[in-house]
Amino acid sequence: MEITHRLENEILIITIKGRLDGATSPKADEFIKERLKGNSNRLLFDFEGLEYLSSAGLRAILSAAKEIKSREGKVMLAGLNQYVYEIFEISGFTSLIPIKETVEEALKDLAL
Amino acid sequence: MVSHSYSFELKSDLSELETLCQHLNKFGQITGLSQACSTDINVCLDELFTNIVSYGYADDQEHLIRFTINLDNNVLIFKIEDDGVPFNPLKKKDPEVPADLMDARIGGLGIHIVRKLMDDIHYKRKGGWNSLTMKKNL
Repeated sequence: MEITHRLENEILIITIKGRLDGATSPKADEFIKERLKGNSNRLLFDFEGLEYLSSAGLRAILSAAKEIKSREGKVMLAGLNQYVYEIFEISGFTSLIPIKETVEEALKDLAL
Repeated sequence: MVSHSYSFELKSDLSELETLCQHLNKFGQITGLSQACSTDINVCLDELFTNIVSYGYADDQEHLIRFTINLDNNVLIFKIEDDGVPFNPLKKKDPEVPADLMDARIGGLGIHIVRKLMDDIHYKRKGGWNSLTMKKNL
């Protein structure tokens, strides 16, 4: 698992690549919490390179989404592969967090 | 169709999730399973293994968790055995579909995912071991 971040027009973009599971999610969770210490209220998860996700990984994403929501901000996910999307769908999260096909599309939406 | 049987053991440590993935890749190569199917299997075994490692042991000793996969006539049968505390994951209620993000919880989601992706699941406790058998039709 590889996790990085960048800011674009005050939108916090967190990119996660590889496998987000019970072994790697504590590191991701810590990284995300650290980045959220700033006052960003727009967050985009770039999952174009995310190959695999389990419920342990969902936990880290959900916790970040809740934090942003409590700031009355906006959270979005982009670039999910078919499998990662399936996990979000089974979990009932596709109706809770907006999902865009590409990062570009999500950034346009978040800039509004 | 040729039948296949594949067994392996993992130590009770979450770092073994990588080994689990390697075993499943190997099993997928031997049997020619689709990538989508291999990934579904991976997440099911991952969720159950993660539960066992996280909540299954009352001591700090290293334990072994046994996995057996059988493929016969387009049916996959999985067996996971652990010597942890008695735990029947099927007794866990499915989480309610959250209406709002702030109400969403992760607890119980792992087994919910397993239920959705597998066709049949059975639990048995025998001789100090939990044994979970699952079936997936291809």
